[in-house]
Amino acid sequence: MIRSLFEWVDVMPMSTVWRESLNGYPLLLTAHVTSMGLVAGIIIFWDMRLAGMALTRVPVSKIQATMFPWMTLGLLINAATGAAMVFSQPMRYYPNFYFWMKNFFLLLALVNMLYFHARIGKTVADWEHNPVTPFPARMAGYASLALWAGIIVTGRMIAYSGLVPDWWIALELG
Amino acid sequence: MSMLPFFEWMGGLRFSAFFLESVWPTPIVQNIHLIAIAVFAGSVLVVDLRMLGRGLTETPLAQLARSVEPWLYGSFVVLVLTGIPQMTSTALKQYYSPFFWWKMQAVLIGVIWTLTVRRRISMRTEAELGPVWPKMVAVVSIALWTSVTVGARLIGLMG
Repeated sequence: MIRSLFEWVDVMPMSTVWRESLNGYPLLLTAHVTSMGLVAGIIIFWDMRLAGMALTRVPVSKIQATMFPWMTLGLLINAATGAAMVFSQPMRYYPNFYFWMKNFFLLLALVNMLYFHARIGKTVADWEHNPVTPFPARMAGYASLALWAGIIVTGRMIAYSGLVPDWWIALELG
Repeated sequence: MSMLPFFEWMGGLRFSAFFLESVWPTPIVQNIHLIAIAVFAGSVLVVDLRMLGRGLTETPLAQLARSVEPWLYGSFVVLVLTGIPQMTSTALKQYYSPFFWWKMQAVLIGVIWTLTVRRRISMRTEAELGPVWPKMVAVVSIALWTSVTVGARLIGLMG
């Protein structure tokens, strides 16, 4: 089912036009990597605050309130350029091990973020001025740091489509 | 004086051959480089946004700048260390790429700007600075480091 979705996009006229554009891919990838600096840069410092590694004198809610719009801006550029690259070369990404790993990590990062908001985030006012945050907040910070490192690494590794486990190649996806 | 002999020398090093002949060292170094870019970008942006009057405005500028300094310098050292093998193992490609020289010139200006003007401004008491100076310094800083990233990515994509 997923395969047919990717194949359906692959034959769309717009996808073909973008795929055959000479500078489209380099421009999209460059914008993707540059805006990654904005998204990951902010998320890393937010996480490091939660983990007690940086900005320990800044209240957590201040980081959340003032940096969230900038992170969202970067995330929108990232999502748009990322989606455009997949849209223009669906059959390059469909069989790519690291592409799916990256999406998996993105999903986990989102779950971690939502969990933090729903649970730990509710008590922020009680501890946000402490340099050392409560254990669950520190764990959420470390988990997010690890996941974003994973997202960056698997994103870069998409270019190394041959350096994958044998069982993945055995699936013969493309 | 041409720098070509120097680049030929780098490309001929045993160290460079090691990276070309083995499978994993190059992607591992590239990935560490990319994670360091994210940390470096965060360290730069937290302070630059603050100088633009955005972001963490309730934290004194000098305090903020000082607290991210270890991450700024630390990630830059990692960037240089992981950049060296990527440069030497593809030395001639780099030498002939206009984007490599674009990137390195922007890095050089960026480092000078960050260690001199930007450092002086971000460590001063804000009341003495007025509204214009910090904004100008931040815009130049963001422009320089953005052009480094763009130039760097284009070395690989456009040669």
